Amino acid sequence: MAEVDDRVELDWDALEVGETFEKFEYLLTQEMIDTYRKGVMDPEASFPTIAHKVDVRQYNAKYTDAGSVNARCAFHCYNPPVAGKRLTVTAWIADKYLRRGKNYIVTEAVSVDEDGKLIDRVITHELKQPSEVGKKWGG
Amino acid sequence: MGRVIRSYDEGDEITPLVKELTQDAINMFEGSAGNTGPSQFTDEHAAKEVLGTEGTVASGRMSLTFAIEMMRRYFGADVFNHTGVVDLRFLRPVRPGDTITFTGKVTGTTREANGSRVSVAIEVKNQRGDTTGVGQGSAIVPNAFLPPEDL
Repeated sequence: MAEVDDRVELDWDALEVGETFEKFEYLLTQEMIDTYRKGVMDPEASFPTIAHKVDVRQYNAKYTDAGSVNARCAFHCYNPPVAGKRLTVTAWIADKYLRRGKNYIVTEAVSVDEDGKLIDRVITHELKQPSEVGKKWGG
Repeated sequence: MGRVIRSYDEGDEITPLVKELTQDAINMFEGSAGNTGPSQFTDEHAAKEVLGTEGTVASGRMSLTFAIEMMRRYFGADVFNHTGVVDLRFLRPVRPGDTITFTGKVTGTTREANGSRVSVAIEVKNQRGDTTGVGQGSAIVPNAFLPPEDL
C-alpha cells in the first residue's frame, strides 16, 4: 500500500520562528559510525550526527518544499556520541531571513543521549531556492 | 593522545587538511544515517532537477566535518571534542573529483572561566584555487593545557 504524504507545503511567510518540532529519537549504531568514518576518511571522526542531518529531519517530515541548499552550518561539540545509545533530538526554527531576494530558513537542533549527556548543537542556514546553485555555478 | 601543554598565539597557522572527494565517499556520508534514496548528493538526475547542476555535489556538511577534523587535530580530541565549535559558510559547490584544502590561522585568544578560548579563521579552497568555504572555529583550552606563563 502506498504511503500517504501528509506533509504541508511550506509557506515561508507563515513559518513561525520558534516553531519546535516533535522530538526525534534514534539508536546510534556502530555501523553508522563506521560508515560515516569511511565516508569522511577519518578513523577518529567523533560526531557522525553531522551526517544525520537531524536539525532538518523533523522539518522535512512536516513540510514539503522545492528542496534546499546548505548555505551555512555551525556545529558545537560537547561529547562524542557512543554506539548503542539512543539519541534524542530537539529541533526548532531558529530564524528566517530574506537576502538578495532569496528565502532562508535557520534550523537549530540539540542532541542528548539516553543518559542525559549533551552531545552536540547544530545550526543550519538553508537557502530555499536550490536552483540558484545551477544558475550561479552552471553545470 | 596525552595532554599537550602549549601556547596559542595570534597568527599561528594550523596544519592544513587536504581531502579528495569521491562519489563513493559522498554516498557513504549520506548513507551513514540510512539515507539511501536518490538526492542531489548521490544522483545526477536529482541534482539536475533540484539544483540545476550537471552532476552531484557534496553536502556542505562534509566540508564542515573536514573543518572539524582539522581543528580536532590542532587542539587534540580531549579539548576539541568537548568545547569545539566550527561555523562555516559554503560559497561554491564541492563536487566529486575535487581536492579541497582546509587552512586555519589563530585570530586571537580570550580568557574564559577555566581556560582560554582560542579562535581560528578557516578557509577552504579547491584545486583551482577557488574559495569554497570560509568561517571560523574555536575551542576552549583548559588551564591545565596552557603553560603557566599564559595563565
